[in-house]
Amino acid sequence: MLEQYIGATVMFIMAIGIACGMVFMTSVLGPKRHFAEKMEPFECGEKQIVSPHQRFSVKFYLVAVLFVLFDIEAVFFFPWAILFKKLGMFGFVEMLFFIIILGVGLCYVWIKGGLDWE
Amino acid sequence: MFVDFLITLVKILFIFGVTVGFFAPVLTWVERKQSAIMQDRIGANRADILGFTAFGLFHIIADALKMFTKEDFIPRGANKALHTLSPIVALIPALITFAVIPFGGVYTLFGKEVNLVISDLDVGLLFIFAVASIATYGYVIAGWSSNNNWSLLGSIRVAAQMISYEVTMGLTIIGILMVYGTMRLTEIGAIQEDFWRWGIFLQPVGFFLFFAASIAENKRIPFDAPEAESELVAGYFTEYSGLKFGMFFMAEFVEMVTIGAIVTLLFFGGWNLPFVTMDGILSMFDFLGETGANIIALLIHVGVFFAKVCFFIFFQMIVRWTLPRFRYDQIMKLGWKILLPLSLANILITGAVILALE
Amino acid sequence: MEHIPAPAIDFISLAPALILSVFGMLVLLMDLFAGKNKNLLVFASLVGLVLAGVSAFAPKALPVVSFGGSYVVDHLSVFFTLIFVFSSALTILLSIEYNPRNGIRAGEYYALILFCTVGMILLASATDLIMIFLGIEVVSICLYVLAGIKRGDVKSNEAALKYFLLGAFATGFLVYGMTLLYGATGTTKLAGIAEVIHSGQTNSDTLLLLGTVLLIIGFGFKVASVPFHMWAPDVYEGAPSPVTAFMAVGPKAAALVAFYRVFATAIPEIGTTWDTLLMVVAVATMVIGNFGAIVQTNIKRLLAYSSISHVGYLLIAIIARNSLGGSAIAYYMMAYAFMIFGTFGIVILLGEKNSENLEIKNYAGLGVKQPAIALCMTVFMLSLGGMPPFAGFIAKFYIFGAAIKEGYVVLVVIAVLNSVVSLYYYLKIVVLMYMKDSERELELSMGPITLAVVAIAVFGTIEMGLFPDPILQLTQ
Repeated sequence: MLEQYIGATVMFIMAIGIACGMVFMTSVLGPKRHFAEKMEPFECGEKQIVSPHQRFSVKFYLVAVLFVLFDIEAVFFFPWAILFKKLGMFGFVEMLFFIIILGVGLCYVWIKGGLDWE
Repeated sequence: MFVDFLITLVKILFIFGVTVGFFAPVLTWVERKQSAIMQDRIGANRADILGFTAFGLFHIIADALKMFTKEDFIPRGANKALHTLSPIVALIPALITFAVIPFGGVYTLFGKEVNLVISDLDVGLLFIFAVASIATYGYVIAGWSSNNNWSLLGSIRVAAQMISYEVTMGLTIIGILMVYGTMRLTEIGAIQEDFWRWGIFLQPVGFFLFFAASIAENKRIPFDAPEAESELVAGYFTEYSGLKFGMFFMAEFVEMVTIGAIVTLLFFGGWNLPFVTMDGILSMFDFLGETGANIIALLIHVGVFFAKVCFFIFFQMIVRWTLPRFRYDQIMKLGWKILLPLSLANILITGAVILALE
Repeated sequence: MEHIPAPAIDFISLAPALILSVFGMLVLLMDLFAGKNKNLLVFASLVGLVLAGVSAFAPKALPVVSFGGSYVVDHLSVFFTLIFVFSSALTILLSIEYNPRNGIRAGEYYALILFCTVGMILLASATDLIMIFLGIEVVSICLYVLAGIKRGDVKSNEAALKYFLLGAFATGFLVYGMTLLYGATGTTKLAGIAEVIHSGQTNSDTLLLLGTVLLIIGFGFKVASVPFHMWAPDVYEGAPSPVTAFMAVGPKAAALVAFYRVFATAIPEIGTTWDTLLMVVAVATMVIGNFGAIVQTNIKRLLAYSSISHVGYLLIAIIARNSLGGSAIAYYMMAYAFMIFGTFGIVILLGEKNSENLEIKNYAGLGVKQPAIALCMTVFMLSLGGMPPFAGFIAKFYIFGAAIKEGYVVLVVIAVLNSVVSLYYYLKIVVLMYMKDSERELELSMGPITLAVVAIAVFGTIEMGLFPDPILQLTQ
């Protein structure tokens, strides 16, 4: 069973090697000339006025929550889709209800303005 | 056992050679050259060796040299470890998604069955989604660890955009799964030996939805708000230089190849030529013996596969140089209000049609 | 191609949960188009609850088992379904006048109550650990939001956040306990667990005991028993009054019935190992609940502590682990629903536009100015204290009867002594109402619907006290 994954695992290890090798190469080969002005974070030539490490708009959290909701729903579709032909009418009707419930949720979010980005 | 492992190793090296060694560098040139042609400019033609420019192909070498020898820059106040980690996290998923994508069928070479896929997983498609979504972390960490406002804005946009389109992308391929009834990509490819069972005929809407969602997932124009250079300098990789910067680009180009490969495999017959079956090729080249005929079939199939992939890469580039960038609210609106309901409707209609036909 | 057959599900036995789910979604959608007027939502929710209550009687022959033995509809679950539907309906009735006065405008309020009721019904019928977890989560998530539905109010926000954080933590314990139980027995079905224990084929007795302890912690939190009661006073105080009443009855009853089912059907065989622990918990819950209530000056906090002490009595029924205990819990929760909704109805009546008047001293002089309301309050207080001839007495009587039948005499004696202590603070309010003059004039908001709820509650409290038999027969 796990034999299937041998190839992917080897590839994964090699990919780590490639990626780490690249990072290593660039840090070894490049020149190193540090001075205070250069090390400033880029702010179009200005001094950094606000620190980036602060709260950001709640809109993004909302998207994250919606993602969790809808992606979990999407996960339920996968096994159902594979077995769709075997489940026949019963599976279709069940999923119809599922999609309707999902649709109610989408409608709710939509009309409440959760998807609007001002 | 050892031979199997050796074959796997060869396949892996082949894939890395094709994606990292060939496509990623050449695509940087193709992108420039194509934009030049489309915008009626002369384009990349300056790098030369002894006066030869070779259509600017030497720019690839020049770029590579430049990236390797640039200073590895980490700004003050940045989180050094995470700053270094993020390009690695972004690149690795792009490299290993190819592990489950078959670039050819099954061939009998010297009495041994060779399957042209590195890992023939029964959950292949799920593997792609699972691995590809990890890349989001790389981009988010990149922006957050840079101690730069532009980067942070870019990374927040990346996070929101990628997770939004991941939902759609997951739902768009449900139709394909329903039609084929399997998640094993080699099986999906094999089914499409019959030209009229190509995904594009069975799931035309699914194709457009999936293609749009996957371009958005790869953050390319017209969905490149996270790195919009006219708004955010360079978005999440503003503070990256040298090869670390190059790795983000490499990830993007490799993902273009991956998208091309998935689209080919799911919707355009994979390695199959229209109306030409495996048996047809084998019987046509029967005079070369079993192994010989199989080698010919292998070459044809791999060639066909990558020709199709090249076409879809080309297509993505045309899209890029044709359309302007969407506004961020338009991107989110497209994802949640148009693609998501459409893909849900696609699932229902597909189900109804399948049931009606049975 | 061979088809996968559709599983046989008796939809009629599922009807209450299905109806409420549909109405919940309907209310949610109606809210999007209803605008400011929430009357339609209230009406739809009440219709849904009534339909669900009626449909609970639909199954012809009980018990009905569905979903491969993880969902059962028996007399106990039908009765609890009635308690849930009834308490949700009373909550909505209490909210009609309370919500506009206190600036709760969200239409989701009603949908959440309906969804919460669905969760409670699932919980009462669940005979599988996963189903129980599902029910508990549905109930809890709705309650987290309901507790914080007064969005402008700091106390309400605090209540919601506290409840959410602690609740999520406790759920972790619960799931861990279930996992260990599954690990020890290899099944999540309650009957299956009992069978494995009976045949002595458990994988590890240590896991089994550890799982039991973790389950006690998890359920202990959900029913607010000592030492996991700390959230209750704060949450009860901060949440809107109808929601507080709702939390004190519906979800608590649901958690208790699941508690009872797990401990009385799945692991009664190892009862001697956990009943000592549960006895300590029960005694501590009664003592700390009652003595904590004595020092309170806020009526909602007082009722919170009193509800903790009531959980102590109810745990005795679980310890007894006989069928009498199950019906005693059911009877007790029904009586408790009447008492609590009546009391909270009066608490809501006392509220004014800008102040809810939750201090106990606000009740001074009520006996002179509003003799009828004061009388009702006296009835509820005496009933909560377990005085005959009210419902509270009979309810306690049955619980103690179930425990004595199994020989837990000491426990019952402690419980009776605790009831005596509890009378002190219940009667304190009565004394305050009749024997003290009010400090300032209260503008009572005599909402007719809230008054009607109080009237129903008084009727129920007295009726169940005088004629307990019909209700008791329903529970058996």
